[in-house]
Amino acid sequence: MPNRRNAIAMVISAVMTASLALTGCSSGDGDGSSKNGTTTITFWQQKFEDYQQAWFKKQVDAFNAAQTKVKVNLQVVPADTWAQKLKAAQAAGSAPDVQTTNYGNINAAAANGELAELDGLLPASAFDDIKANVKSFVSANGKHYAYPMLVEPSTVLYYRTDLAQAAGLDPKSPPKTWAELITWAQKLTTSKVKGMTIASAAADLGWSSWGLQYNACGHLPVADDWSKANATDACYEQLLQFYKDLYQGGYMPKTPKVGYADGSPYGSGEVAMMAGGSWVVGQLKQTFPAMIAKTAVAPFPSMDGDATKPTATLGGWTLTVDAKSKSKQSAADFVNWLLAGDPSIMTDFFKASGYSKYTVRTSVDQALAGNADATSDPFMKVISDQVVPYGKQEPAYPWDIALAFGTAIESAMKNTASVPDALKKADSQINDVIKKQSLAGTQPQH
Amino acid sequence: MALLESARTGRLPAETVAHGKPRRRGKGRRDNLTAYLMIAPMAVLLGIFVMWPLAYSLYLSTFKISFYKDPQFVGLQFYQYVLESTDFWHSIWIGLYYALIVVPAGILIALFLASFIKTLSKRMAAFMKVTIYLPAVVSTVIASVLFTFMYQDEGVVNWILGLINKAPVAWLNDPDWALPAIAVPGIWLGFGITTLILLAALLDIPESYYESAMLDGAGFLQRLWYVTVPLLRNVLLYLFVTGFTLAIQMLDLPLIMTNGGPTGATSTPNFFIFNSFRDMTPYATSFSLTASLLLFAVLGLISVVIFRLIRSDKAVDG
Repeated sequence: MPNRRNAIAMVISAVMTASLALTGCSSGDGDGSSKNGTTTITFWQQKFEDYQQAWFKKQVDAFNAAQTKVKVNLQVVPADTWAQKLKAAQAAGSAPDVQTTNYGNINAAAANGELAELDGLLPASAFDDIKANVKSFVSANGKHYAYPMLVEPSTVLYYRTDLAQAAGLDPKSPPKTWAELITWAQKLTTSKVKGMTIASAAADLGWSSWGLQYNACGHLPVADDWSKANATDACYEQLLQFYKDLYQGGYMPKTPKVGYADGSPYGSGEVAMMAGGSWVVGQLKQTFPAMIAKTAVAPFPSMDGDATKPTATLGGWTLTVDAKSKSKQSAADFVNWLLAGDPSIMTDFFKASGYSKYTVRTSVDQALAGNADATSDPFMKVISDQVVPYGKQEPAYPWDIALAFGTAIESAMKNTASVPDALKKADSQINDVIKKQSLAGTQPQH
Repeated sequence: MALLESARTGRLPAETVAHGKPRRRGKGRRDNLTAYLMIAPMAVLLGIFVMWPLAYSLYLSTFKISFYKDPQFVGLQFYQYVLESTDFWHSIWIGLYYALIVVPAGILIALFLASFIKTLSKRMAAFMKVTIYLPAVVSTVIASVLFTFMYQDEGVVNWILGLINKAPVAWLNDPDWALPAIAVPGIWLGFGITTLILLAALLDIPESYYESAMLDGAGFLQRLWYVTVPLLRNVLLYLFVTGFTLAIQMLDLPLIMTNGGPTGATSTPNFFIFNSFRDMTPYATSFSLTASLLLFAVLGLISVVIFRLIRSDKAVDG
């Protein structure tokens, strides 16, 4: 009996051990990138406004149907899971061949060797078509690592003309200074509608306040050569105080349902004014058309009323090719076809966006010039004439620095630290990041 | 008990019993072989999925890891960085604070409910058990979304406060309220299973103990203090240990409800590590790995302390 029991135990354990070993070792569906002369590439698109998903899908289908050499697999990845998904894929060596990358991440990704250099992969004419002021956005050390798709100013003031009038304010003369904005917010706040909405969480404040950081001090809270922090400059105290006054005054929702990038609180009438990116114009047109007639757009107020100071960064998206991609040329061919090829493809995109974003290519600009819808939009005219010319490029330093400053603004807003203490803490955190990540002297050289 | 003894002496029970009898020793060897074969799959499993990754993680934590460039050996530098990080220690404090709210409150509520169910008829008790256990099968994600809605300015919690003319409280956006606010769904999700365990333990206490106490003139509180609590002590300690270890590792609720905010007020250790990992820099990869290993050490220390407490109470049910 014992022998038989042993034999059974042996069989069971052998089977289990073998199955464990198999489950542990059997993965591998191969890279499968090339089959029957067709190269398959993966393209991860960060999830944006709904119309963008539809546009990307339409264009990828058109690309796949138009030729048989390259097949693009499109995957839409939500923004809040993007970083961990991408990082896990990079660790496993299965990062997408093509991905959406924003301007702010290009320098760090290029320095870390994550992006393929595009100069040899795309024709030189494609880069010649990029507008001069955007070229530096996609290059590092004189080489191109991304192909730009669009630019969009990060901060514009949207306000309800009907509510302003009802509150005894002149809708034709929107607030010009931060003090005036607070007065407007105060007057527009009722029991049902808050006067204003602006970012109030560190992760949103980190990037959406860049324009206002420039506005307050003329620079970001880091020395130009990234050698030290300068977050304790007195001018930043006014910036933090401005945010604090809006929040502590009760003029903005204290429990926002959505992040800064989403304009729905304004669209659904919960607030009378909103700081939002130019993309909100598209959102209003698509989702809240009834709000268009009651809305006006103005440059975001300046600290001292000087309208020539920056209030926004010119953010936006690009497509990049992974440095470890096995099909770099095919990936680049797709990028070239979509973003740098026939101008009608991108004009179709800007049409879908309700002309709420700006092209980065001269040829697309020319194609749009004859289009009345593209040039006559009153909102976009204000943004083009009064916001974009003073807009600044997004900083290329690591996100930790932006987050440290965003946390300082949030701490001041929510009273967890006094304004000077919050800035002091941010300053020391930024210096810590500079030291531990050896950032001094690594700023981009265009 | 025999197993514990043998573990202490380092000898197997069969061997102890069969001392000096060669025929029995042969059988003991066969039994040993069976035992080793039976634990082999688990040993392989642990080896592949726990031991090897742990050893490899320790090795990797001495490098600045990049998925695109050769890793750079930095020794114990990242351990220094993590130990110096005020955010790391802040997150440990937040985890402890969260556990200190959730675990005692959860156990108290569960004890109250279990005592109540014990007094009910069989049918009512069955109904109550199902009702109380329901939150345990609700996903944390759903509970997070549900409670986020309840905490909105116009949500049900502020509506009730409005009835007594208290201004809306920004539950999830006020640094003082955010952690207690996310602890409420934490308690709600956990008390179902705690109640059932406590109910089983309560039912295990012989009625005769209570009858004797009552004959001696003990009131309700005295019976609770001198009979119920001492006899539940081991179960309570078990619930405390497992509850504490689980609570300090909470990730889902702060991730979904507050994203660690406001101003880091709900940044639990696992959230802090996860958030570090989400940062795209190579620095963040090594930092989050090292922080995980150090959290493992911190949790281990806490467990050691609590296990010592358990050992000291072994005599209670003896």
